[in-house]
Amino acid sequence: MNVSRTRRTFLGAAAAAAISGAAGCGGARGTTWRVFSGHEARTLDALLEWIIPEDDSPGARGAGVSHYIDRQLSTHFREHRQAYRDGLAATDRLAGGDFAGAPRKQQQAALRKLQRDPATRPFFNLLVPHAMQGFYGNPRHGGNRDFASWRMLGVPPLPVRGRSQYDLTAGGGNAKS
Amino acid sequence: MSGRWKLWMAPAAVLAVGLASVPAADLYYQSSWGTGCARCHEIGIDYDRWRHATHRNINCVECHAGSLQKDLRRVEAHMAGTVPDQVHLGPQDIFDMLPRCRKCHEQEFAEWASGAHSTTYARIFTDSDRNRKQLLMDDCFRCHGMHFEGGIKDLVEPVNTVGPWRLKDPSYANLPAIPCMACHSIHREGAPLVKPRERVSAQEEIVRPSVGLFDRRTRMNVSAAILPLPAIYEGARPVRISSDQRQALCYQCHAPLATMQAGSGDDRTPLGIHEGLSCLACHEQHGEATRQSCADCHPRLSNCGIDVEKMDTTFRNPKSAHNIHTAKCLDCHPKGVPKKAAAHESSILH
Repeated sequence: MNVSRTRRTFLGAAAAAAISGAAGCGGARGTTWRVFSGHEARTLDALLEWIIPEDDSPGARGAGVSHYIDRQLSTHFREHRQAYRDGLAATDRLAGGDFAGAPRKQQQAALRKLQRDPATRPFFNLLVPHAMQGFYGNPRHGGNRDFASWRMLGVPPLPVRGRSQYDLTAGGGNAKS
Repeated sequence: MSGRWKLWMAPAAVLAVGLASVPAADLYYQSSWGTGCARCHEIGIDYDRWRHATHRNINCVECHAGSLQKDLRRVEAHMAGTVPDQVHLGPQDIFDMLPRCRKCHEQEFAEWASGAHSTTYARIFTDSDRNRKQLLMDDCFRCHGMHFEGGIKDLVEPVNTVGPWRLKDPSYANLPAIPCMACHSIHREGAPLVKPRERVSAQEEIVRPSVGLFDRRTRMNVSAAILPLPAIYEGARPVRISSDQRQALCYQCHAPLATMQAGSGDDRTPLGIHEGLSCLACHEQHGEATRQSCADCHPRLSNCGIDVEKMDTTFRNPKSAHNIHTAKCLDCHPKGVPKKAAAHESSILH
């Protein structure tokens, strides 16, 4: 066991520094976020849960809407990164420092301010459509985990749809059955 | 040291470090059990799923040891920030994984390899009998070659009913058009199988969490547990179908047309004497074999005193006029079902 395993681990660890340095992979181990820090993600999740709350089906958190936003900020929505950083920081400030950890009443008051204050309204107006996209969109983009919203609406994730077995050599494209 | 040597030393050192980094990287990723892989944030979600998946005890590199060229391309994408919206396995990655599936699931693999679902790209897409009758189309990929990246014109030429047809990339010819990952999601959340303390049938798992159809649009396997079971009709009559959720996977490809009529399109819903049976009541899961299916339910002899396996149906002879999926009592009793059999049929149907 242990000798070879320890040696292997040691060699691996020694090589890790060089390789991860070369690959620019110095990030936190096992994080699931591409753009957000852990704290920002927590704030965003709490904020989104106010916009699409959980009832008898998953809300924004359960549907992974924040993952959709995170993924898009790393690709198609790059230009909105700063708006999110500033907006989430403002959200925390309005809730006394930590929106996710604040009591629900305080969160609600902060959300009202966020929505009404001309300085933060653009962020709120940006967030709502992104939340909708992440909740109702195709799961391939990172949100709507396990088709949560489609199932809520009664839309099957994959409809049952067959294909006509027609025969063009038998006088046209009429289906056999 | 001469100036000439010094000139050679620098590139030689770079080359040596470069070469050494390959086995070192391999060693690192092997020994870190995924945490090294997950340092690249873009696969964090996949890593997190794997940690809770049925395959959590299989090291990443067991399935994902790709070629150096591919790995370098990934590093390049990571460094350049050109990581795609959705990180996913390419077709070659999928084919490369099959021998790794086989390593642990030898019996299932052998059954699949001997069954209809191990068909190849060449058999599906260059079948001249079929291609003369029907036009190839992108929708074929929904159930065959679902991992192919591109449209039908990127795979086959010509796309017409004249032919002759050939695969644009001949290396696809013998590759499986319905590989393991067509119906299994390796990272799906779920617990590894364990021996229960006490066997209680009603508490047993019905379907492994990994079972789900690979959907090209979402590029993910949709769990069989959330796939729909269709409402099927024979004329205006609703057909009773089994509530076995496992067959929702079958219905994705063996599906009726929009009219939902039994037997339309590729539908195989049992009617008549076998109405209400699940696909899996007769077909084995990986090889689709049915040899044992009659004996699973029937006493050796039917009500008429005839061995059910010797009756004139497609079970015995694929060319029989009596399809085993739709055989009815009247098929063998054209002058009317004898009273005893009629009562039996009535009890089956109602």
